[in-house]
Amino acid sequence: MNQFLDVFLIGVSAASIYSLMAISMVLVWRSTRVVNFAQAGMALLSAYVGYELVARVGNFWIALPLAMLLGAAFSAFIEFVLMRTLQKHSSQGAIAAIAPIIATLGLLGLIRAVIGFIWGHADVQLEAPLSKVGFKFGETTIAVSPMSLFVLLFVIVLMIIVSLIFQKTNIGLALRASAYAPEIAQLAGIRVSGIRTLGWAIAGAAGAAAGILQTVNGTGSLSPESLEFSLLLVFGFIAAVIGGLESLPGAVLGALILGLVLAAVQIYISGALVFIVAFLLLLVVLIVRPQGFLGSKAGRRA
Amino acid sequence: MLKKHPLLTFTFFGFVLFLISNRLDELRVYQGATVAVYVIGIASIILLTGYSGQVSLGHGALLAIGGYAAALVRIHYNAPIWLTFVVAVLSAAVGGALLGLAAARLSGPYLAGTTLALAIGLPSIANQFPILGGEQGLFFDIGLPPASLGADFTQYKWFFWICWLVALIAIYWLRQVMNSRYGRSWRAVRSNDVAAELAGIHVGRNKVLAFTISAGLAGLAGALLAMTISLVSPGVFPLALSFSLATGAVLSGVTTLGGVMIGAVTLVAIPEIALAIANRFSGSETITTNLPGLLVSALLILTVLFVPNGPLEQLRAKRGKNEHSLKK
Repeated sequence: MNQFLDVFLIGVSAASIYSLMAISMVLVWRSTRVVNFAQAGMALLSAYVGYELVARVGNFWIALPLAMLLGAAFSAFIEFVLMRTLQKHSSQGAIAAIAPIIATLGLLGLIRAVIGFIWGHADVQLEAPLSKVGFKFGETTIAVSPMSLFVLLFVIVLMIIVSLIFQKTNIGLALRASAYAPEIAQLAGIRVSGIRTLGWAIAGAAGAAAGILQTVNGTGSLSPESLEFSLLLVFGFIAAVIGGLESLPGAVLGALILGLVLAAVQIYISGALVFIVAFLLLLVVLIVRPQGFLGSKAGRRA
Repeated sequence: MLKKHPLLTFTFFGFVLFLISNRLDELRVYQGATVAVYVIGIASIILLTGYSGQVSLGHGALLAIGGYAAALVRIHYNAPIWLTFVVAVLSAAVGGALLGLAAARLSGPYLAGTTLALAIGLPSIANQFPILGGEQGLFFDIGLPPASLGADFTQYKWFFWICWLVALIAIYWLRQVMNSRYGRSWRAVRSNDVAAELAGIHVGRNKVLAFTISAGLAGLAGALLAMTISLVSPGVFPLALSFSLATGAVLSGVTTLGGVMIGAVTLVAIPEIALAIANRFSGSETITTNLPGLLVSALLILTVLFVPNGPLEQLRAKRGKNEHSLKK
């Protein structure tokens, strides 16, 4: 029973970070039809920026929202400079399908090199602002610490904010309309290109939060070649694909499924199998239900 | 000349390389061998992406399969060197066929993400099996060059000869395949899969075949790469290798095999150029380690933005030789 509880708690806690990553990929996919493989690099950069801000400001609680803002600005900048140029130049031929993928890969390499230039290749430590020792109930220690509880709550608050933006505001309506039918949205007077940049900006903020929370909730160490962030990218992608790559609730659902399955594998079988299971899950979903579990009409509306 | 007498051209090119190899120092010979490895690796991506329209960001994983297979048969059965290459090709092709079966159902970003996941995950999977030597990997030794080549014939020159001989044969063969019925079917599927299907081409089967051949070539490149550094380990086939191959393919231009040397030479030359620049700036270590990545990535982005079809295609388009693209 206790083990089962651990699976649930660890799974949900991991899922909260995967879902942020998945959401940022979904937002980018919806606004420009690009899977942003540089998302891990952008999250890593934000984590480094967070580390720098903590060092300068000395307060994690100020550094986190600041880093998210900077992440949003950087992401919008990338859309504005890179993606718009890309659409102008390579919109036809065999390359059109792969050009965005290759461009985001190039961006990933560029970000890593820049990080190496600024912060060097040695690991840096981003200290957790809260205790990572699990809460105690009598004799037993459960798998929830103040830190992971904060991560979970913070992600839930972010989710609520994002869904409020999408459901209750005009901007959200414009975001949904331009994702669903860009031409019609344009005819209806929405400035689709601006909305695309906004989509990237929100994605950048979510990715920045994912990067920082993943770091402080995990080992706390950062390096330009971090495998942890590559895995975060893959898990975010898998979560987004399970949800159908179109839908925000789908991304959260996908992250929950992935987080719980991986936690179960880790605790009941072996930590070494986590990646293989995640990969098989991806293959099964892609083969059995390539449109994802919430990828139909219901997803488009959200 | 290439069009009319391809075999003659390839032989001539091989002869030139042979002459060059006698005049270079050890480091250049080693780099030359690496160029040959990249030529095969990039050609396998060009076949996959440019000719059958599929994307793979995980070719490093297929190179790893080839490298490990070659090392295993060498260590356990003391197989002759040509046989290790055959085994590498076959085992990577089997892996590629399995992957291709899944890949044929996927499009663009899904396939890219799946292969990327494989490239990230495979090195850590290799750590799980003791037979693969874990983090240290396996020693892959093909032995000294034959004594008949003379006493001062170095190991690296031997690698150079093997790599280029294999590369020339592989590219020649690939060229023939691309000009055959299969090559035409792939191009048809790439341009318009619905039209291709209506013309009686089995789209799925063609995609799987392209993936299989591409994987076989990647396995060959993996075995050669392992040979030149005498080692297979997870660190030999990092994610960066997969990215390098994709980069090389884009720099070469994914729609033609002709530019394959451009990408391969660039990949080998960039660390050299970066080193030269770093030395100018008093040889700071930060510059030396980060500049190659910066240059490659910047070059990749600029190529995709401004010369998306590669330098050769761009030149052709400028000369207005549109009949070439029509013939394809």
